[in-house]
Amino acid sequence: MGGGIAASLLAARAGLAASPSQITMRGTKDGGRIWFDPVGLYIEPGQTLRFLNQDGGNTHTSTAYSPDIDGRPLRIPADAKGWDSDYLDPEQAFEITLDVPGVYDFYCRPHEHAGMVGRIVVGRPEDHADWEQNAETGDLPPEILAAFPAVADILSMGRVAAPG
Amino acid sequence: MRSMFLIAAATALAAAPALAEGNLVAPPPAPFAKVSELVPLPDFLPGLGTLYVDPASLPAGPFLGYDHDGKLAATIYMIPVSDLNPDKSFAGLAVGAETVTSVDVYYNAGHAGVEVPHEHIVLWHDAGAKERVAK
Repeated sequence: MGGGIAASLLAARAGLAASPSQITMRGTKDGGRIWFDPVGLYIEPGQTLRFLNQDGGNTHTSTAYSPDIDGRPLRIPADAKGWDSDYLDPEQAFEITLDVPGVYDFYCRPHEHAGMVGRIVVGRPEDHADWEQNAETGDLPPEILAAFPAVADILSMGRVAAPG
Repeated sequence: MRSMFLIAAATALAAAPALAEGNLVAPPPAPFAKVSELVPLPDFLPGLGTLYVDPASLPAGPFLGYDHDGKLAATIYMIPVSDLNPDKSFAGLAVGAETVTSVDVYYNAGHAGVEVPHEHIVLWHDAGAKERVAK
């Protein structure tokens, strides 16, 4: 019984790692609501992640919270390199590969004020001694800070859908 | 009361400054410029069309929206939600054409060029205009 449960857990973890690694940018037709889908995602270190703009009427970015990018608060591992996709047209994609374990928070430049943020968790803390989460608040208002999905939820479910 | 409001609204539209006839077909004359060449937005926006604006009129506009054949479909104003207050007003905004068949007003979370929450106020210039720019 115990071995079977352990095997199931390992299989579940492998399933999470093998899931498609893609985050899409979405929006309602009138531009009233915009979001990342999923808003939270788990990937393994070294896994490639693709951001794809599937909002036919808008441009979006995926931009990491890093002091190296527009002096934003540090919300990625200190040894990691942040990214900025620049504006993506509809159906345009941008790929990154994250090697450093930990939590990566990111946002969409023109829509950050509207709460368009997301979170990536790379690796599990119990598997990586250098797993790191930085959560500087900087200039982020409370409503944006509240929009990030919980790390525990991302670890347990693999992906967290946007609310609503 | 309702009929008085409609008469007042029609009178207000008739009194609004109309842009030169050259803007009925894209591209409109200067100082209007293509929005996609000013800010990172797609050339054609489903629901609005290909947009042109005089940059000096931002954020309110008017924006001129053209269909796939270059015919003027709509005049659009973009009013920041924060400007909808007792201390701010927008008067004498020009219209792209004198015929207005319907008006839509809706919230937009923001986009390149108007990166704050705002209201889109869309004046459709003929009955089929909305459908022609829907996609």
